[in-house]
Amino acid sequence: MMVSLYPIRNVVGFLLMIVGGMMLSCIPFSVYFGESDWKALFGAALITASAGFLFRQFKPKTGNHQVRKREGYLIVASGWISMVLFSALPYLFSGLFDNPVDAFFESISGMTTTGATIISDIEAMPKGILFWRSLTQWIGGMGIIVLTIALFPLLGIGGIELFVAEAPGPTSDKIHPRIQQTAKSLWLIYVSFTGILMLILWAAGMTFYDAINHALTTMATGGFSTKNASIAAYNIPQIQYPILLFMFLAGTNYTLIYWGLQGKLKKVWASDEFKVYVSFVLAIGFAVAGSIMYHTDLNIEESLRTGFFQVVSLVTTTGYVSADYTLWGPGTTMIFFCLLFVGASAGSTSGGIKLVRHWVFLKNTMLEFRRLIHPRAILPIKMNGNVVNTKILSHIQVFLLLYLALFIIGSFAVSTMGLDFETATSAVATALGNVGPGIGKVGPTDNFAWLPNNVKITLSFLMILGRLELFTILVLFTPYFWKSN
Amino acid sequence: MNIVIAGAGDVGYHLAELLAQESQNITLIDRDEDVLEMVSNRLDVLTICGDCASPEILQSAGVKKANLFLAVTTSEKTNLISSILAKKMGATKTVARVQNQEYIEKNTKSDFMDLGVDSVICPNKLAAQELQKLIQESYFTDVFDFEGGKMSVVGLTLEACSPLKNKTIRELRVSSTLSGTVRPIAILRDSSTILPEGSTTLKENDHVFFMTNDRKKLPLKEYVGKENGKINRIMIVGGGNLTYSTAKMLEKDFNVTIVEKNKDRCNYLAEHLQNALIINADPSNMDMLEEEGLEHMDAFLALTPNSETNIITSLSAKNHGVFKTIAQVENSDYVHISQNIGVDTLINKKLIAANNIFRFIRKGKVEEIVSLKGVDAELIEFELHRDNQLTKHPIKDLPLPKSVIIGGIIRNNKGLIPNGDFQMKNKDKVIVFAMPETIPVVEDLFR
Repeated sequence: MMVSLYPIRNVVGFLLMIVGGMMLSCIPFSVYFGESDWKALFGAALITASAGFLFRQFKPKTGNHQVRKREGYLIVASGWISMVLFSALPYLFSGLFDNPVDAFFESISGMTTTGATIISDIEAMPKGILFWRSLTQWIGGMGIIVLTIALFPLLGIGGIELFVAEAPGPTSDKIHPRIQQTAKSLWLIYVSFTGILMLILWAAGMTFYDAINHALTTMATGGFSTKNASIAAYNIPQIQYPILLFMFLAGTNYTLIYWGLQGKLKKVWASDEFKVYVSFVLAIGFAVAGSIMYHTDLNIEESLRTGFFQVVSLVTTTGYVSADYTLWGPGTTMIFFCLLFVGASAGSTSGGIKLVRHWVFLKNTMLEFRRLIHPRAILPIKMNGNVVNTKILSHIQVFLLLYLALFIIGSFAVSTMGLDFETATSAVATALGNVGPGIGKVGPTDNFAWLPNNVKITLSFLMILGRLELFTILVLFTPYFWKSN
Repeated sequence: MNIVIAGAGDVGYHLAELLAQESQNITLIDRDEDVLEMVSNRLDVLTICGDCASPEILQSAGVKKANLFLAVTTSEKTNLISSILAKKMGATKTVARVQNQEYIEKNTKSDFMDLGVDSVICPNKLAAQELQKLIQESYFTDVFDFEGGKMSVVGLTLEACSPLKNKTIRELRVSSTLSGTVRPIAILRDSSTILPEGSTTLKENDHVFFMTNDRKKLPLKEYVGKENGKINRIMIVGGGNLTYSTAKMLEKDFNVTIVEKNKDRCNYLAEHLQNALIINADPSNMDMLEEEGLEHMDAFLALTPNSETNIITSLSAKNHGVFKTIAQVENSDYVHISQNIGVDTLINKKLIAANNIFRFIRKGKVEEIVSLKGVDAELIEFELHRDNQLTKHPIKDLPLPKSVIIGGIIRNNKGLIPNGDFQMKNKDKVIVFAMPETIPVVEDLFR
C-alpha cells in the first residue's frame, strides 16, 4: 500500500488534542453545579490529549510525508472515527452507561450531529457530562464545515463541488484564495452565531446553562437537548422563533451567509440552491401547518410556528422536537418520513442528501424527457447559470443510488434484528441522514435506548457513513484504494 | 478629405468603393499584393502593400495628414493597435473593427477612446441588430429609421392577395386612409428600379419601399397580403458568433432553436444561452430539420459560413411554409438577388458594417445616409441651416432633378410626408431619395 502514515497520525493527534482540550472546558459546569462528574471528564481529557500527543511523536526521518488523495480519505475517516471513540470516554468513565455500546452510540450520534439519544431521563444526568454531549455536536459541526469547505472539494465529494471545484472561470464562490483564510471566516460565523443565539435564548428566559447547550446544538444542526421533552419543554414563541431562525441559517450554505453579511444580497439570491431551500421550506411548512390546524385545536400562530419548526428541524437535519408530528394524521407522518431524505444546503452543517443533489437530479430528469423529444439537442444542466459537467452529474446520480441502496440494505439488516417495518425504515433513514428522530418506535417522543446492541452498532455505522458523504468511508472498502497502482 | 483604410477585405473594399464615388483621397493598406492590384484596377485609390500595424507603413500611407483612419482587417488586435498608432501619428479620427462584443460596451469604449480609438464597430453586433429588427417587424424585408424612428423607410414584397395589387399609385393616394402618413418612394421589379408616378401600377411580387412617419402603428402589414405573420418560433442554422449575438437578443421574446454541426460549439452555445434549444446536427440534413419542426417555424435564419447552404436551406424552409426566411451570404454580389430567388432577405454582415462606417463618416456632412438593397439610389438626410432657394417655393416649383424625391420632412421632432404644395423651412430635416449621379447636385442645393 502506498500510504504514508505519518501525516495521518499527525492530523489525528492534533484533532485528539483539541478534543481533549474541549473536554476540560466542561469541568467548570460540573464544579459550578457541585457534581462529581468532573473526575470522569478530567480523566478522559487527560487520556485523549496524551493519546493525541503520542500520535504526533516519532516522526520518521525518511519518507515522503505528502498528503495525496489516499491520505486525504484516510485522514478524514480515521480522524472522525478516533474523535468519536475518544468522545465516548467521559460517558464510560462516569459510569452512567451500563452498556458500553450505549456510550459509543451517544458519542457517534453527537459527533455526526445526528441527535438520536439513548438517554431516557436527560434531566437527571450530571451537568458536566450533558454539556460534553452538546459540545460533541458543536465540534462535529465545526469539523464538517472544515471538511466541506477545505477538503471535500479537493476530493470531489460533498455536493459543494458544484460550487467550488469545477466552476468554470473565476470561482466566485470562493471567499478567500487560501483555504485557511476561508475556514477562519466560516468558523467566525459559526462561533459568533452560536454566541448570538445563546444570548437571545438566555434573554428569552432559558437558564444560562440551557441557553448555551441549545445554542451549541442548534448551530451544529445536531438536536441534543437538555430537556426530556426537547424544545417542547419551551412552548413560548420568544424561544422557539429564534431557534427556528437559527436552524434555518445553520442549514444555509455558509458561503452564502458570508456574502449576506458582506451585504452582497444579490449574490445570495442568485444561488439556485438557496431559492430551492427557501421555497421548499415555505411550501412544506404551510402544508404541514394546514394539516396541524385540521388535526388539532391549535390556533393559526401556534400551527404555523409548530409546523415550520418541525419542518425546518427535519430538513436541516437538526432533529429538535417541539411537538409530536406523528399525531397529525398519516399523510403528515409520511411527509415527515420523506423529509428524513431531504437535507438542507451543501456547505452547511446539515446532513442527508441535500437539496442541491435533489435539484440537479430533478432538472436532469426533466431534461431527459426533453431529450426524448429532441434526441439531438444539447441540453446541459445549469446551476447558478453555470453548466454542471457530466462528471459531477454522474457523481450525484451515483450518490443518490448509493444512498437508496444503503437505505434498503440498512432497513433490511435492522429488520432481521427484530424491528418492525416502520421503525426499521425510519431509524435507518434518520441515522443515514443525521436527523435524529424518526417515526414508529423511534418517533419524536421516543428514544433509541431500547434498541438491541446490534441495531445500535448498525445505526452508528450508518451515521458515520452519512455524515462523511458515503464515499469517504466506502472508498476504504474498495480494492482500488488498497491496490498499489 | 484624406482617408486611410487598413485592410482590403470585403469591408475595406466596399468602403473604398463607396468613398471613391465621392472623390475622396483614399489610401488602402493590405498585405496581399494580388488583392491590391485588383482594387487599383477597379477603383481610383492609392494602394500600399504591408502590415498596417507597422509604423513605417502607416507613415508612408500618409496617416499624419489623414482626416480619417479606418482599420477594418479581420484581426481586431491589428485594428486596435494600428488605430492607436495612427491617432498618435496625427490622424484626426480613427475607427476600428472588432469581433469581441465586450469591446463595444460603454466602459470599454471610453477606455479605447482614451487610447486613441475614436470609434469601435462590431459587424456581428450590427448584423444581429439588423436581424432582430427584421424579425420584430416581420412583414418588412427592410427597415431603416431616421432620427430614432420619427421617419422610417420600410420595404415589403406584395404577395398574390395583397390589396395593393393592380392599383395605381394615384388610386392608392385617393383611396387610402393613410395618405399623409405613407408614401411609396421606389419600386423594385425584376431587379430594375422604378420611381413611382401617379400612373404606375403595382404588381404581384413588386418590392415596394415606403416612407412613413409611424411604422409601428400603421397597418402597413396588410399591404403585404400575407396571413398569420406573427412570429413566435425561430430556427437558426449555423452556430457562429452572429448566431450567438442574434439568439442572445431574440431568445427572451421568441422560441429559438439553433442547429449546429460542431459539438463543442453546441456546448458553448448551450452554456451561454439561457432559453434557446441547441440541436447538434448537420443543418443541410432536411429530414432532421423537419423532425425538429421546420414547418411549424415562423422564421428561418440561415447563418452558416457557407452562402450556398444558407440560400438552399432557406429556400427549402420557404417550401415548407416558413413565413420569414433570411439567409446570410458571404459574397456581397448575392445580396441584390433576394427578390428574384425567393428568400425574403439576404444579409451580408460586411456590407452592413461597411454601410455603417460609411454612414458614420458622412454624418459630418449629412445627417444620415441609407442605401436600399437592390435599388440604385440612396436616401440622404439633410438639415436646412439657413433660408435659401429651397425654402422660398413649394416643392413642386423647386428646380430639382427629375429623379430626386423629397421623401419626408422632420419638423419640430415630427415626421411629415410632404406633397407638392409643401414648403420647406429653415431647421427642417429633409430626407431625399436620389440616384447616385444626382447626389452632388442635391448636396449643392442643400449646402
